[in-house]
Amino acid sequence: MNQENIMKGPAGIGLLAISAIVLLASFGYAIASLMSQGHAAFNATSTVPWGQPIATYLYFALASSGLGLIASLPLVFGFRKFYPVVKRCIFLAFAILISGMAVLALELGNVFRMLWVIPLNLQIQSAMFWMGVFYLVDLLFLLWKFQKLDAGEWDSKTSKQVGIGSFLAVLLASGNLALIFGMMSMRPFWLDGLLPIYFYLTAVASGLAALVFFTYLAHGFSRDNMSAPLRNLLEGALPKFFGAVLGGTLLFIAVRAITGMYSNNPEIHLVWSEYLFASPVYQASLWLGIVLPFVLMLTGSMRNQAGTQILVAVLVFGGLFAERFFFVVGGQVIPLFKGTWEWDILSYTPSATEWSLTIMGSALLFTLWVLGERLLNLSAMPPSAVMQEGPAAEAAAHA
Amino acid sequence: MAKWGMVIDLDKCTGCQACTTACAMENNTLPGESWQDVLFYHQGKYPSAQMKWLPRPCMQCENPSCVHVCPTRATYKDMDAGGIVFVDWNKCIGCKYCMIACPYGVRFYADEKPLLEPDLRDIFPGSNGQLWSPPYQNPEQDWKRGIGIQPAGVVSKCTFCYHKVSKAPAGTPDLDEAIPELKEYVPACVRTCAPKARFFGDLDNPESQVNRLIGDKHGVRLKDHTGNKPQVYYLGAGAGVPAFEPKPRS
Ligand code: SF4
Ligand code: SF4
Repeated sequence: MNQENIMKGPAGIGLLAISAIVLLASFGYAIASLMSQGHAAFNATSTVPWGQPIATYLYFALASSGLGLIASLPLVFGFRKFYPVVKRCIFLAFAILISGMAVLALELGNVFRMLWVIPLNLQIQSAMFWMGVFYLVDLLFLLWKFQKLDAGEWDSKTSKQVGIGSFLAVLLASGNLALIFGMMSMRPFWLDGLLPIYFYLTAVASGLAALVFFTYLAHGFSRDNMSAPLRNLLEGALPKFFGAVLGGTLLFIAVRAITGMYSNNPEIHLVWSEYLFASPVYQASLWLGIVLPFVLMLTGSMRNQAGTQILVAVLVFGGLFAERFFFVVGGQVIPLFKGTWEWDILSYTPSATEWSLTIMGSALLFTLWVLGERLLNLSAMPPSAVMQEGPAAEAAAHA
Repeated sequence: MAKWGMVIDLDKCTGCQACTTACAMENNTLPGESWQDVLFYHQGKYPSAQMKWLPRPCMQCENPSCVHVCPTRATYKDMDAGGIVFVDWNKCIGCKYCMIACPYGVRFYADEKPLLEPDLRDIFPGSNGQLWSPPYQNPEQDWKRGIGIQPAGVVSKCTFCYHKVSKAPAGTPDLDEAIPELKEYVPACVRTCAPKARFFGDLDNPESQVNRLIGDKHGVRLKDHTGNKPQVYYLGAGAGVPAFEPKPRS
């Protein structure tokens, strides 16, 4: 089946070259402006301290967690139909997490200092401390799990244990990431104990978008190049699951919007009425990036078509990126305690340097992914005995 | 050890911003990096409109949310220093989580677009690791407490002029600029306040003038519902923060 992976051929070299050039150019631009102007090259300020680089990191970190959760479907919960995408899922989760971390590294004021001050000071009260711990554990588990599968250990006891460990690490990492925002009572737009659930859901939505897009891209956007089990998955369980997750995402957004708009607290309802819903970009990303994909995935005939799935994946990329951006910035647009110095909702538009970090992260992801497709067998599947469901098959697998 | 507290009497404050200026001079802060600022609020309509002003340092909270979130312990509350909340510039990684978590908006990341042109950082480029190096600087530098001019990529904030108050004789109940032998130990904003609207003293000493003022004049802490429990109290009419309202749309 790998012969049909177009990334192994000249198309892969082409995409690798383009991604590497974009990566170098965007990294070069970001570094040059950071060296010459420092973080003044960002449009984030003391009043809106977290801007697009943080939103990009959040987007990537959660897409990675989403992919990790999808990989757990077959590895932990026995949804064997998902085996054909599991290696690609894990590799993508790894590549996206690394890309997100690279963006975050350039956002921080003193990134290398982190390496010693965090372990030496063990500030366990801080959710951000746990973010570092859990995402590091998540990254290590992803590598370990990938190495197990790469060695052909699909169904061994250790690979199952590593799978469970990895699943727990993903839940902790992304759930805790949600709480970095969700526990901030002084930013009522974010304050929400159920935020981890919203993050899990949207993480899986962005993970599915990435998985669908990169799987099609690897196969030249043609199902004819795919193996039969992969085709079956793309015509059956996966689009249904994608549709359901988009529905859940919409429900969550609706519930947050309704409670937010109803609230008397200006620090919540003004964010919805005067910032989010007042922004044409937010409106477009909501309707085109989440509602439209959900509608497209509602009917069986539509959702099973390759064209629809690719379109939905691309729309959801944009929709959820905007969702992360407006979520992060929305928590900060009501000025805290600034009097008439800031007597309107704050505005923030990313600078060229901040955009270059987003582009750099995306280019790094493409570069790592093409390398992965070329050097590793991301389409590998377990032997047919493991693929089949049922106790007989399981017994055969253990034999 | 004392627990340093500040009392600001809004009935006396004229909104002159002398404190803001004194703080900027004392601590060599950049325009916009106003560790101490006077905020203005207006409510109502002519002829019964009201104008309020509210001097605003860091509240040196008893239960500081900035400290809880800092992943590196760079931000810490030092009980041996009167409960002042400091930023250790050798530890801060510039994640800005503390700026998100502080309900009072009093933390600054000076590594940002300049508020005013020309940019003072271009006129006095930084040397010795400083973000900028103006020719006249306060000789007091203590990066472990965020005193002096910061390096790039860290957060800065009001230190209650620790470099001054720490030199006061132990057990002094109030640092009052009217007492000649104490005036050098008084925080710059308190010392400069012409109508004497600011008071500084030991909140742990029931005899201190700050405690008496809080008791007699019904001192309040702003945004007390946050639970941060400021060590800064306000007296007088108008001690409150109006809810945020956006600019009316035309
Ligand atoms: S006012 Fe803000 S910066 Fe100052 S101690 Fe309280 S939470 Fe921290
Ligand atoms: S910016 Fe510095 S002081 Fe603030 S939370 Fe991060 S490491 Fe701590």
